[in-house]
Amino acid sequence: MDHVMNLIRAALLALAIPAAHAARALKATDTAKLRYVSASGSLLLEEGKATGTLPGKMRASVNVGATISGSFTIDTKGGTIKGHGEATPHGAGVYESFAGSITVTGGSGRYAHARGHTGLYGTFDRNTYALTIQTTGTFSY
Amino acid sequence: MRATTFAARTVLLAAILLGLCVPAAAAGAPSATLSAAFKPERLGRRTTLSFGFQVRGAAGLLPPALTAVSLSYPNNLGIALSGLGLSTCTAAKLEASGLPGCQADSIMGFGDATAEISIGSDVVGEPVPITILRAPDEAGHISLLFNAVGTSPLNTSAVFPGALLPAPAPFGGSVNIDVPLIPSLPGAPDVAIVRLQATLGPSGVTYYEQVEGRTLAYQPPGILLPDSCPRGGFPFAAQFSFLGGGHASAGTAVPCPRRR
Repeated sequence: MDHVMNLIRAALLALAIPAAHAARALKATDTAKLRYVSASGSLLLEEGKATGTLPGKMRASVNVGATISGSFTIDTKGGTIKGHGEATPHGAGVYESFAGSITVTGGSGRYAHARGHTGLYGTFDRNTYALTIQTTGTFSY
Repeated sequence: MRATTFAARTVLLAAILLGLCVPAAAAGAPSATLSAAFKPERLGRRTTLSFGFQVRGAAGLLPPALTAVSLSYPNNLGIALSGLGLSTCTAAKLEASGLPGCQADSIMGFGDATAEISIGSDVVGEPVPITILRAPDEAGHISLLFNAVGTSPLNTSAVFPGALLPAPAPFGGSVNIDVPLIPSLPGAPDVAIVRLQATLGPSGVTYYEQVEGRTLAYQPPGILLPDSCPRGGFPFAAQFSFLGGGHASAGTAVPCPRRR
């Protein structure tokens, strides 16, 4: 009987091995051009196209206040990547630049286990509320 | 009998309130009140923020000179989306050329302050017009300048720097203003700013843009109010610091607009 149980355990373990996650690292540089969708107070909803290492459709909810912060989703061919970021504005004028960081917190499909911390740079058009975002860094998935 | 009980309770309440107030007054602490309003106040629409404060010295005396004000404003207030402050001006330009030295697109609001000056045993009030301007960012913070020009009895001007800093909930940020000491007469205390009433928004502000070689005047859009009003209204708070180390604080809330 013990012999049978051991065989079952071994079979279950063997089945489990392929499901175990092997992390990969990807050095990514992407640029997203986002356009204004709607606003409420200091909160902007934006969407647009991301190009670069991980091209896809990006949506972001951005709070433009004393700092610029928000969350985002990128729909790529291989799955969705989710995260949030925070940046500090610099300078003034119609185009305000900002710099900060993005934290990748997860996703779906190939990127279900995505994790990472990358740099964030961009500009904000204070007339049209259009955002141009550049990210560069390495994340695992 | 009821009236007597009511009177006794009133006296008791007054005594308690007086008892609560006495330590602060005895310590010579200044006090402050704060006001705020949105004009117009329609959720999801553009507005001008109107705010003001008044400080009083203990026992009706002139308060010490104000050295700093920190005004916290509500979360989710679209100040950065207001289209205000597209250009910047510097304290050096203001001091050299006054307001004409700055581009119109750097003006974010207007106001007026009341400064009080001790002349002998008298206290003289001086109205001081204020212009609020956008300044170049400093240390990663959106910066402002408050340009104050007094003409009588003291012919003096001052530029107060301010910075927009993050603030904990329920606030979205705070405007921290450093108020410089303004000397009055020889041997007399520094000028005491006792009241300020100001607006931040498009009311009275005109900007200019170039369109196909022509200069067009326009009014910037204004501060965007959120689509919903926080429970209890839009909260504002202020902390005041005075020469000699005294502090005062005040708070208020702009009530939610009535549903239409």
